[in-house]
Amino acid sequence: MDESPLVNELKAHLGAKAQWVRETSKDNIFALVRPQDVPDCVRILWNEMHGRWGVITGVDVVGGIELLYHFIFDKHHRVVTLKTTVEKPFPEIESVTPIVPAAEWTEREAMDLLGVKFRNHPRPERLLLSDDWPEGVHPLRKDYQPKDPNA
Amino acid sequence: MGLFRWGLKHSPWVYHVNTGACNNCDIEIVDLITPRFDVERFGVQLVASPRHADALLVTGICTRQCRPRLQEVYRQTAKPCLVIVIGVCACSGGIFHDGYHRWGRVDDAILEVDPNAVFAYVPGCPPKPEAMALGVLKALSML
Repeated sequence: MDESPLVNELKAHLGAKAQWVRETSKDNIFALVRPQDVPDCVRILWNEMHGRWGVITGVDVVGGIELLYHFIFDKHHRVVTLKTTVEKPFPEIESVTPIVPAAEWTEREAMDLLGVKFRNHPRPERLLLSDDWPEGVHPLRKDYQPKDPNA
Repeated sequence: MGLFRWGLKHSPWVYHVNTGACNNCDIEIVDLITPRFDVERFGVQLVASPRHADALLVTGICTRQCRPRLQEVYRQTAKPCLVIVIGVCACSGGIFHDGYHRWGRVDDAILEVDPNAVFAYVPGCPPKPEAMALGVLKALSML
């Protein structure tokens, strides 16, 4: 498999902020970054490399919540994913909504369903769960009990 | 049969309520009221306000957020009001039965408001438009 020229471009732009950059399959490139570098890396991918904003995916993994910031590069036919892990029990990360306005809802979704706190989010309100849902219960966490008596 | 019942049977106006459906049933409802199946020839007409409705077409699992809204819509309808519960999700919960955000069955939510409500159940994922038309007719025969 020939490596996409996008990989070297990413390495040049992200520099030391990316711990590694790998092409994992035909369409996907992953870059591992530290949580504190995420706003800078998003700014680079958004403002300098002109990637198209995709979505944030959140996964509850051992020891933390994995956040995946997907950017689409149409010219290269690749999805570039910034991968980072925020630590439990109080996962917290800087919001990227001031950089990419479209990230507002997907960050609020992660706030509801996984309990990640986004610092400096312009509207940190509930998006998906009902108004009478109790605080601190996050249904996509692994430790969520179905039919939670609190919920 | 009084004039009122006669009129109701010949021209039930329906109001469509989505309480958290995946839109599959809603697309079939659009099929039901548009010219291919055209239930308007039986006088079934889609109205924009629950205050004009003689029947509610309810689709989707009843979520926690939607339960008070569904009950409010039912309170606002002119009585007698039939409830046609469309799709397996609305009837029993379907594959979303143990979902974290599901409140319960649609009929339980409405029975909380009106214990004498009349229901017609049309299970299916999604039900065929013919089945929905049959459900409406069966509910009307209850009157």
